[in-house]
Amino acid sequence: MSRDAILGRVREALSVKTDPHVREVVKKSSHSLPVLANGPDGRTQAVKEFLPFVGDSLEDHVAAFKVLSEKLQTEFIVVPTVDSARQALAQLRQAHQWERIGIHDNELVQSCVDQLQVEFLNTSSDYDSHALEKCDVGISGCDALIAQTASALVTNHSAGGRALSVLPPHHVVVADASQMVTTMADGFALIREKHHDNWPSFISFITGPSRTADIERVLVLGAHGPKKLTIIMISA
Amino acid sequence: MSQSTNPTTQFQTDANRVTADDDRRSFLRSSLRGYQTTRTATQERFLNYESARIAAGDAKWEAIENLDIYLAQFADKLEARGATVHWCSDSNEARSAILNIIKEHDAKSVIKSKCMTTEEIHLNDLLEKEGFEVVESDLGEFIVQLREEAPYHFVFPAMHLKKEEINSLFQEKLKSINTNDPEELTMVAREVLREKYLSADIGISGANFGVAETGMISITENEGNARLTTSLPKVHIALMGIEKIIPKLEDLALMLPMLATAGTGQHLTCYNSQLGGPRQDDESDGPLEMHVVLLDNHRTRLLADPEQRDALRCIRCGACLNVCPIFKNVGGHTYGTTYQGPIGSVITPHLRGLKDWKHLSHSSSLCGACSETCPVKIDLHHHLLRNRRDAAGKGQGMLAEKILMFGFTIVMRRPWLYRLAGRLGKVGHVLTKPIHGTRIDPFYAWKKTRDLDDPAKQSFKQYWKSRK
Ligand code: SF4
Repeated sequence: MSRDAILGRVREALSVKTDPHVREVVKKSSHSLPVLANGPDGRTQAVKEFLPFVGDSLEDHVAAFKVLSEKLQTEFIVVPTVDSARQALAQLRQAHQWERIGIHDNELVQSCVDQLQVEFLNTSSDYDSHALEKCDVGISGCDALIAQTASALVTNHSAGGRALSVLPPHHVVVADASQMVTTMADGFALIREKHHDNWPSFISFITGPSRTADIERVLVLGAHGPKKLTIIMISA
Repeated sequence: MSQSTNPTTQFQTDANRVTADDDRRSFLRSSLRGYQTTRTATQERFLNYESARIAAGDAKWEAIENLDIYLAQFADKLEARGATVHWCSDSNEARSAILNIIKEHDAKSVIKSKCMTTEEIHLNDLLEKEGFEVVESDLGEFIVQLREEAPYHFVFPAMHLKKEEINSLFQEKLKSINTNDPEELTMVAREVLREKYLSADIGISGANFGVAETGMISITENEGNARLTTSLPKVHIALMGIEKIIPKLEDLALMLPMLATAGTGQHLTCYNSQLGGPRQDDESDGPLEMHVVLLDNHRTRLLADPEQRDALRCIRCGACLNVCPIFKNVGGHTYGTTYQGPIGSVITPHLRGLKDWKHLSHSSSLCGACSETCPVKIDLHHHLLRNRRDAAGKGQGMLAEKILMFGFTIVMRRPWLYRLAGRLGKVGHVLTKPIHGTRIDPFYAWKKTRDLDDPAKQSFKQYWKSRK
C-alpha cells in the first residue's frame, strides 16, 4: 500500500538525525532572546508573549479590536443592549435596502432580526445555494471575537453552515461582549471545550471583508466573498 | 518563457532578456518596496518578533522530525471524520488519483483555489486534455491562467502585470468593458467566477497546513475563493505535500499570523479556515465528500538529507523571493520552476534532480537576505552553498572550471609563479586592449557582463614594502 510505502520512506529518511549544526542556526543567532519551552504549550504562550499586545481587560480588547477594524475596513458597532442591536440592524437594512436576508438558528441572531420586514432564508437545514446567493446579506453568530487580530471566529454551527458568511455580498456578525477573547489560541480552546473531540467540519477566522491586491497591489474589497463586514457587539 | 529544454540555457536566455527590461524591473521593485513597508509596520507591532520566529521554527522542526508519527495521525483523524486520504508517491499517482475521483462523479466542471502543488504536478494540463473545464478562482491565478502562463511568484502570481495589460487581456478573453481600474477589473472577474462556484461539480484546493492532532487542513486566503471552492461543490479535493503537517491545532494561532506577516505584511489574512471532513450529519451544507491527496514527489528524498531537510519546514510565505536581489532582477518566470526564488533554488535540485537544476544555486549573491527574512528561520543561503558543494562533489562541475581551478592551485602554491603571473597578466591586459569587448577576446563570455578595470600601477606587495 502506498501509505506504508510513504511512511516507510519517511521513517528511513529520519533514521539519520538532523545535522546539529543546522538545528543550531536558530538558537545560535538568538542566544539573548527569550525562548519558550518547545511544544504546543510553549507556542500558545508565545502567541501571548511575542505577538502584539492588546491588554487584559475587556475595555482594552474592545479598543484594540476597534483600531484594527478600522484598518481592515470592518464596520465594528458596539451597542449596549439587544434592543439597540435590533435598531442598528434596522438602520443597516434601511441604508442598504436589504430585501432578502440569510439567517440561521442562533438565538442572538433570531432576536435581533425578528422585527425586520424582509424575506428570510434560513441556512440551518438544507437550503438552496442559488437562493442564498440572491440574499443581500448573511447575518450570523460566532464563537468568539479575537482581540489580537480583530477576527470573528466561526464554525458551521455558530454561523449557519459554511456559505452563509461568505456567499452574500454583506456579512453581519452579531456577538456578545462575553465572547471577546485575547488570542486565536484562546479561540481554539473555546471550540475545543464546546465540541470536545466532535469537531465541526469547518472553522474559520474572519478578519475583515474579502479583499485582493492582485492587480498592481491596489486594495480592492469584495474579491469573491463579502464586500462588507459588519460586527455588532452587544456590551451588556 | 523560452522553448529551450535545457533548464540552464533557458535560465540564462530568460535572465538576459528580463534584466534588460528596465521598465518591468522598476515596476517589480516598486511593488516589492510597497510590500516591505507594510511588512515592517506589521512586524513592529510584535512584542518580540525574533522570539516568535524561533517558536514558529520549532513547531515546524517538531513536525518534520516526527513526520512519520504526525502524518499517520493526521490521516487517521481525517478518515475518522469521513474523509478519504490518498497517498501518492509521485505526480503521476496524484494526477490519476484526482482524475479518478472526478470521473467517478461524472463531473464536468472543476473550480480551483490557489494551490502551488497542483502546478507542481501539472494538474490543469491533464484535466483540460481530458476535456474538463478547469477554472482558477484566485484573481492572480485566474489572470495568469487566461494568459496561459505559469504564476510569476507563488504568492503573487500576477505581480508582473500592469493594469493595462490585464485590461486588454480581459477585453480579449472575456469581452469585458474597457477599464484600467483595478476595482472594476476585479469585479469583472468576480462576476465571471460567481456562476462557476455555483455550477462546479468539484472544488480543488491546496492546504497551507495539516493539523495532525485533529485531522484538519488549514487554508489561508484573502479573497474568499477558497471558502467558496470548499463550500459549494459536492466534492472537495485537497492536494497537499506531506511536509505541510503541524502537530497541534493551537500551533496555528502562531503560524497563521507569522505566515501573513511575512507573506503579505498583513497581521492576518482575511480568511483562515480549518476543514476536517465533509459535511457531517448535524451540518447544513458543505461537500458530501472530502478527499485529501497526500503527495511525496521526492519530498522524502529531501527529508533524507540531514542538513537540507531544514527546507521542508518552509511555510511558502514567499518572503525570501520578495527580498532576493536575484529574483528582483531576473523575475519569476526565469526560474522555470514551480517554486521560484531562494527556496525554489534550494529545493528544486532535490525534487527534480541536481544535474539539471544546480545552476539555480549559483545564481545567488549569497547575501543572506533570504535567511534573514524567513519567518521559520530556514538557513537558505547556506543551503545554496551546500547544493554547490554537492554538485561539485558529484563531479558535476564544468570541465573548464576544473582545469581553471587546477591551474589556480598550482599558481597559488608557488610565490614565484604567482609574481610572474601577476606581471604577465598586466602586460596581457594592456596588449589585448584593442580587442576588449569584441568576440575575439578569449574572455569575451566572462567579460560580457562584467567590467575589468585596468590593474593598479602598484601591486599590494609593492605598496606594503614601500610603506615600511
Ligand atoms: S523559505 Fe522561509 S521565507 Fe522562503 S517561502 Fe519558505 S518560509 Fe517563506
